[in-house]
Amino acid sequence: MSGGVFLQAVITGLAVGIVYGLVALGFTMVYALTRVYALAHGDIVVGSVFIGVLAVLGSTPIASTPSGMDSVWLVLVVLGAGAALSAAVYAVAMRPFIGIAGARAADAVGWVTGAIAAGLAIREVLGLVFTREAYAIPDALHLSALNGSGVVSLPGDTTVQVRFFGVFVIGLIVALITQQLLMRGKLGLALRASSDDPETAGLLGVPVERLVLLAFVVAGALAGLAGLLDAPGRPLSLDAGVILGLKAIAAAYIGRLGSLHGALLGGLVLGVGEQLAVAWPTLGAEYADVMPLALLVAILALRPEGLRGHVAEPVE
Amino acid sequence: MSVIEVASDLYLLLAVLGLAASVQYAGLPILGQGAFVAVGGFGTVLLAQHGMPLGIAVLLSVLIAGAAGYLLALGAARLSGAALALATWVLAWLVQAILIAFPSTFGGGQGLTRSTPTHLVSPWLGVTLTITPVAHLVIGALLCALALLALWRMDRGPVGLELAAMRSGPGLAASLGVPVGARRRSVLAVSASLGALGGAGGAVLLGTIAPTDVSPLLSLQLLVAVLLGGSLRPFGPVLGFAVVAALPHLADAIASGANVPQERMRGALTALLLVVALAARRPAGALLSPVISRLQLRRQPLPGTSTSDRALTRVVNTDGEPPLVARNLTVNFGAVHALDGLSLELRAGEVHAIVGPNGSGKTTLLRVLSGAMTPAAGEVRIDGTAVPSGQSTRVRAGVARTPQRTVLLPGMDSLSEVSVGARAAVRTPGAGTRHLAVTPQSRRDDEQLTAGASAALHLVGLSERSGLSTGSLGAGEQRLLQVARAAATGAHVLLLDEPAAGTTPAERRRLIAAIRNLADRGVAVCVVEHDMRFVGAVADRVTVLESGRVLASGDPATIRRNPEVRRAYLGDDVESA
Repeated sequence: MSGGVFLQAVITGLAVGIVYGLVALGFTMVYALTRVYALAHGDIVVGSVFIGVLAVLGSTPIASTPSGMDSVWLVLVVLGAGAALSAAVYAVAMRPFIGIAGARAADAVGWVTGAIAAGLAIREVLGLVFTREAYAIPDALHLSALNGSGVVSLPGDTTVQVRFFGVFVIGLIVALITQQLLMRGKLGLALRASSDDPETAGLLGVPVERLVLLAFVVAGALAGLAGLLDAPGRPLSLDAGVILGLKAIAAAYIGRLGSLHGALLGGLVLGVGEQLAVAWPTLGAEYADVMPLALLVAILALRPEGLRGHVAEPVE
Repeated sequence: MSVIEVASDLYLLLAVLGLAASVQYAGLPILGQGAFVAVGGFGTVLLAQHGMPLGIAVLLSVLIAGAAGYLLALGAARLSGAALALATWVLAWLVQAILIAFPSTFGGGQGLTRSTPTHLVSPWLGVTLTITPVAHLVIGALLCALALLALWRMDRGPVGLELAAMRSGPGLAASLGVPVGARRRSVLAVSASLGALGGAGGAVLLGTIAPTDVSPLLSLQLLVAVLLGGSLRPFGPVLGFAVVAALPHLADAIASGANVPQERMRGALTALLLVVALAARRPAGALLSPVISRLQLRRQPLPGTSTSDRALTRVVNTDGEPPLVARNLTVNFGAVHALDGLSLELRAGEVHAIVGPNGSGKTTLLRVLSGAMTPAAGEVRIDGTAVPSGQSTRVRAGVARTPQRTVLLPGMDSLSEVSVGARAAVRTPGAGTRHLAVTPQSRRDDEQLTAGASAALHLVGLSERSGLSTGSLGAGEQRLLQVARAAATGAHVLLLDEPAAGTTPAERRRLIAAIRNLADRGVAVCVVEHDMRFVGAVADRVTVLESGRVLASGDPATIRRNPEVRRAYLGDDVESA
């Protein structure tokens, strides 16, 4: 692998990885607070993008650069749709099965199946409207316009899309700000308490209902942002959400499960690792999905507390 | 419906029945049955393409899937239900991603094809057999019937009792000596094998298999079929599958009417069915449970054994070390010392009460002694040997515990409930298989099991309740039943966590008699109890805990006089009373 190709893979990987990191951040936040997996999260990323497109541009979007007003609306609708979808999935499909603060035992089959059914419903119902295999999504954040050509030259006659730099910087800034804000508020207090010692936090009654809902809303908005950053890069299929969500879960597990920094770091590690595998001469693009999923299965089987973890998963 | 469609559905039903073994019987949430169907289908076609005889190809791919299921459970031994659901869901997507990522092997989106109908040629016998769709129909129906029969037989046998305990929670099952990990492995291997067999049958029948045939959506549809079946065993999943099998036809009709993509409509309806299956789970179960309990055959206590408690008698070696010795047990919760270097002996034939204020470490002590919790330091010796933590390990070593809160298995009668414990006493290798094969030995196993359970019921004075559903018993009788269930394991060290909670005075007298009876037969009984009058009536020795340490220990009269105890605990008690 030449230096240029390597650099290209790393830059692409950081951009892909920060998207995983944003989704993983939301997943981890929800997990740390409630010990449930937000399994519809990937579908919320893609679903919120398509809802934004449907609301602003209609069901047959064209990939041309949207106007200023449309861009603003797109960003607002996608972020709002992400938050709303996430809250709705929680309230409708998961809340009935989660025992808050030990009030009653959580019904794992219930909330797992509920969340997966919700994710399935999101992509299939949108699929009734968006009937094509995949769509080119307009770039609401105009990141390709950061320079004239849209690409940056790297050594060895290779190039990388300029939007990847924008994706990485925006994603990183938002992720870090979110973490800082979270750590100051009540949500942060609850998060720290329950990630240190879930049982005690539960006994203290820390995760009150409103905080859990807030966590889902914030996670949903982060998912919407991840969609805005990720979607314009390639033809987007409604079915891409599940794998994206599972990769984010893999990222959360690579970082210590339950740690916000770990989730972000895990996303970057996974993104760069995936792009290096794709660029590796003997591997290739077919490993982009296979590798992270296989890694996640292996982690779940061997280290269910996450790669950096020390907190054992409670066996029910 | 054509013959081919029915035969194809029968093969899918086989995968559903396999999944039912994990989901409906063992209570394991498996969301990736489609992955095993894929291994069977793609494996068979691939191996046959490489020149392997078809029968061997089917067998080999079924074995591979079974081994994969076994390995998955081996890896997932420590996983909670939710993590297992996640792991299997990821597996479904991983297999799908692999099928799509390597088109040169798996044929890409088109998948693989082979010629149909299949001709089986035997050069030795000089015959050629053609497997027509009708033959597939017969094979599929036979396999499903066999699977149903096996599930039905298993449910009523020793393994069925263990799986019932696992459904209520791995913790309870382990506390009754069920080898949870081993059961998980075999159940998952069976699920995966039947899934693969269904996949192989379908691929041979249709002559084609594509990634979309074994997508994660299929995994969800198979799960829906099992969930819709509720707790109705063994036919619930068949009814559930009838609904699922009708789904594509309904979806396609709606889709063509509304002019939307068929695949999307199928997915949307699957999501709807999942929600329906979840929402209907409890009410439907409650609605059907009177019918179900009437359908279940009652095991009658065998004449001659119901009034005898010989089956519970244990020869206890009273020489040397006491049956249970704990040394320097230390457990910390953060900065709190729940147990602070605590040492304790439980002697054969002695009832040893543990008392102390709330938070003094009583329940933690029982959890450590029963193996449910590993102490940070210290050891537990049973009959002179240090035994590692782990509840089923301790039960095998002869230490059983009753839970603090009443936990009973739903939908069981009292005798079966206690039989779950008795199973630990008469555990013999291969009992489950023998039961499936209805060997003469299995009948003797059953009789031994029933005799042990009856004796335990007799011990706590619940013989007359043996045929009644546990849910219909009073709260106090349920406490007694828990004691019987633990005693039925044949343990010579019994740990009872507040056994008298919620009992009436009459029941308390029965409980005291039962505990004394156990002690008279050499069992070391440890009782954690708040009710001091109960302690005074039952205990030979009282140990008072405070802040994870032994404050005092001795016979009840001495303890009552101990000034330190009066100040720390009894005085407290008087004030609050």
